[in-house]
Amino acid sequence: MTEFPVHVQGLERRYGRKEVLRGVDLDVPAGSVVGLLGRNGEGKTTLLKCLLGLLRPGGGTARVLGRDPWDLDADTKARIGYVPQEVELYGWFSVEETLGYVGSFYPLWNHTFARDTARAWRLDLDARVKTLSRGQLQKLGILLALGHEPELLVLDEPAASLDPSARREFLATVIDHVAELQQTVLFSTHITSDVERIADRVAVLKDGRIRLDEELDTLKTTMKRVRLIGRVDLPRDLSVDGALRVRVRGNEALVSLQHADDALLRQLESTWNARAELHDLNLEDIFLELHHD
Amino acid sequence: MHHDDRIPHFALSPSSGVPLYRQLMEAVRAEVASGRLAEGELLPSVRTVARELEINPMTVSKAWSHLESEGVVERVRGQGMRVASVATDGDPAERRRALLPAARELAARAYQLGLSPEETLAVLGPVLEEMRRD
Repeated sequence: MTEFPVHVQGLERRYGRKEVLRGVDLDVPAGSVVGLLGRNGEGKTTLLKCLLGLLRPGGGTARVLGRDPWDLDADTKARIGYVPQEVELYGWFSVEETLGYVGSFYPLWNHTFARDTARAWRLDLDARVKTLSRGQLQKLGILLALGHEPELLVLDEPAASLDPSARREFLATVIDHVAELQQTVLFSTHITSDVERIADRVAVLKDGRIRLDEELDTLKTTMKRVRLIGRVDLPRDLSVDGALRVRVRGNEALVSLQHADDALLRQLESTWNARAELHDLNLEDIFLELHHD
Repeated sequence: MHHDDRIPHFALSPSSGVPLYRQLMEAVRAEVASGRLAEGELLPSVRTVARELEINPMTVSKAWSHLESEGVVERVRGQGMRVASVATDGDPAERRRALLPAARELAARAYQLGLSPEETLAVLGPVLEEMRRD
């Protein structure tokens, strides 16, 4: 059966009078690594918590591994790994005791993997949890979420507290591991370069909805910026169908849009009596174009 | 044997508008064209490249598969991908076509700088000469 490990339709959630999620649609294909991108405060954590049954949605539907997250049975829970933004553990436990304690809840806990990875990530097995830095705590959190080899891994801003190069190395290790086990990953972040390195899909959450949900390669191949250079000043209200954003300054216009082909370029050139150039956009450019207002 | 020492040649920029798998394909083609990857030589494994470059292994697999379907590399059972024999001395028309994207970029840059076609070729000629001497 080709079922999406995560399937969300019209999901809504409000805090008091503030609508945070206003109809989120999202499908996460099996085996994919999806980066959920959004500015701080856009509701990424809220969405993830709704998927894990930690928050109750106000409307819409969510299915996680085929189940309603609000009503997850123990077997399904054991197939999911989750790392919250702030990992909370018993401070007086050592790292090794924590691994043993959490592992005892899972029949399929991989002790060898947990211990080996703790060493590889330079986590001291004898250290007390309360002495760990935020970065080390997040590493331990992810290790705890990986130890039972879940089918679906949900990471909320993974390793956001590590410095960029440590984060890169660390995310690569996680992805190396999940790729081998063909796990599905949904991770939230506001760091576009993390998504560019490790995700194969990107979903952008903005104003309570998913504004963009695509394969990263497809997005980069199809989303372009057209630079129009007119012989004379271009009209300030110049508009192009389907454009994400249009900026006009003097005789120059920058138009970002998807699926700009040669025919469209020729058409723009003749409509505006201008020369058109096509430029690539990286994920940060695209993200900024979506947030220009 | 895998030539892991070659991996640093695959210099990628994840934050570019060009998809990573396409950058990787380009990097391998360049290695083959320059002879740094010789006919019959094995590409580093997907996992090695992914680890080294700190990227998703699926991206590397995708690049390797596309290179395979283009005939640049061929799959060797149980060993990985090796540089195909046709890749190094393929169809000249095909090789000319592979140069087109870079040529378009050069043309666009020349246009921006207001250089005429003659002036552009005058710059390119000596550069090609330099390359031949190396």
